[in-house]
Amino acid sequence: MTHQPANPAHLSCPAPLEATDRVQLGHGSGGRLSAQLVARQFLPAFGNPALEALGDASIVTVPAGELAVSTDSFVVHPLEFPGGNIGSLAVHGTINDVAMMGARPICLTAGFVLEEGLSFAVLDRVIAEMARAAREAGVPIVAGDTKVVERGKADGLYINTTGLGAVDTQFQPAPARAQVGDVVLVSAPIARHGMAIMAAREGLQFESAITSDTACLTPLVDALRPLGMDVHVLRDPTRGGVASTLNEIAVASGFGVEIDEPAIPVPGDVRAACEMLGLDPLYVANEGVLVAFVAAARADEALRALRAHPLGAEAVALGRVVAAHPRLVALRTALGSTRIVDLLPGDQLPRIC
Amino acid sequence: MCLGIPGKITAIRDDAGLTMGVVDFGGIRRDVCLQYVSDEVAIGDYVIVHVGFAITRVDEDEARRTFEVLREMSQLEELDWMADVADASLKDTEKRA
Amino acid sequence: MRYLAEYRDPAIAKALIDRITTRATRRWTLMEVCGGQTHTIVRQGIDEFLDSAVEMIHGPGCPVCVTPLEQIDKALAIAAQPNVIFTSFGDMLRVPGSDCDLQQVRARGGDVKVVYSPLDALALARKHPEREVVFFAVGFETTAPANAMAVWRARELGVRNFSVLVSHVTVPPAITAILEAPDNRVQGFLAAGHVCAVMGYTEYEPIAARYRVPIIVTGFEPVDILEGIAMAVAQLEEGRHEVENQYVRSVRRLGTEPARALVAQVFELTDRPWRGIGTIPMSGLRLRDEFSAYDAERKFGVEGLRVTEPADCRAGDVLTGRIKPPQCTAFGTRCTPEHPLGAPMVSSEGACSAYFNLAKYRRGEGAEVGA
Repeated sequence: MTHQPANPAHLSCPAPLEATDRVQLGHGSGGRLSAQLVARQFLPAFGNPALEALGDASIVTVPAGELAVSTDSFVVHPLEFPGGNIGSLAVHGTINDVAMMGARPICLTAGFVLEEGLSFAVLDRVIAEMARAAREAGVPIVAGDTKVVERGKADGLYINTTGLGAVDTQFQPAPARAQVGDVVLVSAPIARHGMAIMAAREGLQFESAITSDTACLTPLVDALRPLGMDVHVLRDPTRGGVASTLNEIAVASGFGVEIDEPAIPVPGDVRAACEMLGLDPLYVANEGVLVAFVAAARADEALRALRAHPLGAEAVALGRVVAAHPRLVALRTALGSTRIVDLLPGDQLPRIC
Repeated sequence: MCLGIPGKITAIRDDAGLTMGVVDFGGIRRDVCLQYVSDEVAIGDYVIVHVGFAITRVDEDEARRTFEVLREMSQLEELDWMADVADASLKDTEKRA
Repeated sequence: MRYLAEYRDPAIAKALIDRITTRATRRWTLMEVCGGQTHTIVRQGIDEFLDSAVEMIHGPGCPVCVTPLEQIDKALAIAAQPNVIFTSFGDMLRVPGSDCDLQQVRARGGDVKVVYSPLDALALARKHPEREVVFFAVGFETTAPANAMAVWRARELGVRNFSVLVSHVTVPPAITAILEAPDNRVQGFLAAGHVCAVMGYTEYEPIAARYRVPIIVTGFEPVDILEGIAMAVAQLEEGRHEVENQYVRSVRRLGTEPARALVAQVFELTDRPWRGIGTIPMSGLRLRDEFSAYDAERKFGVEGLRVTEPADCRAGDVLTGRIKPPQCTAFGTRCTPEHPLGAPMVSSEGACSAYFNLAKYRRGEGAEVGA
């Protein structure tokens, strides 16, 4: 009897054996395709002993004392943008959240929800970015998970990362610790990430050299660590921008925050993009910037420490904490008038008016 | 209605009968429809752009002229203030003399 | 940015403020028509600096604020339909209709997209020939040339799956309506600079003459607005009532003629309700009959929707300067930026939302995060 090779087109099996360039439902099923995905895509990129053991959970050693834990999900669209991709954000974002507590990041987990039909080329680029970011930060991805959902249910891909960090008992910034007289510092020019994304959005496209500022901020945090308890607050102003972060700190501390409009650092092309769309840079997302509230006596020292590092080379003082207008953020214009910088009800929308 | 910003034309082309161009706004560039100003603009000119359309050409000579007037006025105001301060301190000196 | 940044020069602004406050021998009442001008005035605190010399009344110059409720409801009805991609400027997404807003329609599954330009909407239609693309064509005369071109181009290119929901309004009839009101207090106007860049300012000359009010064509940056106000105050002090052009770098007396011409070819004047104010005759634009294939109202059969305006929204009185927002009983209580009753609380330069922040500041309150 001659053996005819099966015609793949006649197979009804949902996990055909031939190579494919797109994610399929079978990749999330836990079977052979899943194993292939892990072995060929994830492990080589993230490779570390804890992950490679491939147990149901990973074993890591942590120092004695308290741990800081943070989790975040990343759903950005488009998945890729100038300066990075969703993977960069997923690693930097969670490491930064841990670092903003003054903790030293130890490890990350990464959970993926992939949309059926996502191209492997894109997935590979996302994973490569995550691997690079994790390696540069010295923070391994020790545990992961992958699920695949039907076409139309996931916008390409969603990532969740959870980060652990070791609390530093000598350095514990927290929003409630802001004090009247504190100087408000910002580590770098703002609004770059949000405008880089806007430039890539369908319906708004414009050509620009604006790149996302996504970065791991631990070097800046470490630069401030010697100032100890005089660093009262550290926050990274992501969604909602500097304005939202300052509002959160004002409310948490119960004090007012005053900033000077001429001091706000915005790169020229970012400002131009904001003008075109009618957006206020204060509300635009950042991914490589931190805001620090420092005791007045040590503000200069803090600025010098930030400026010594490339990520903080353009750090400036933005304003101060005041007893007036408690829990509100006020902005002094170049003309000398004052207006409130409030939380927006939702996302800032481009306007014509 | 209002959000029109000035930008500099860096390229002009014909898009199937519609005059289109690239306008640079302080470092970012966008495709803009130049149909309404096509008779009066060239590369290097500034236009006001509203929702992707150039609605008028910026008259740079007028801008320069009127801005100079404003700047002089503001310097005069400063001189007035300085004169007032000088007057006041003169009066003070006279009083004490 | 050139031709923008220099008009924010604080030294020049302060000199102009000085000039205005020393020149005025009494307090004058002026109205700026354009929402973009209101934005600058409120954000820079210009009205506070000039308080002794000028009362600024914020006029109905925000097309978002004055889009009639029935047009919003038509937009919501069309956007909810399954095969439609509903495109709009960002401003319109949170404006409340009778029942909900475009953002909520999107949350419920409608395909609602923000675009920067009507040409982007047309491009979407060409890219998705199997879908119906509708563009919400709101705005003053500044935006009409763009919307006219989108329709004109659609017809030229034979695009069938594109239509516009028109809600254009024009400025001169609104100024006239305000001046005709028996309780009118406005003594001079800052005309909208970009409206005039398109249309020129010949339409304002008979208004200035008839009602004896100075009308100054004014730009949008702090120096522009202060110079415009200074010119208005000078006229009032001297007993003159003319149209003058502050925004000379962008505005010429006859405007941009090719733009006016295409607008006249594609649109015609019609009576139009202004939300909260009422119908102002011949103050709106609608598509001419030969473009009816591009009229979304006809295509989707939404002509004649019933509307129920929230009873306590006093947007009209605010927009015409009869009351200041804090005088509305719903202000800050039933009506806040989080749950607005009307458009002036939604729009970032709507008078109500501007006052809301000022009011919180004066009371020394802080927002509860997440409230």
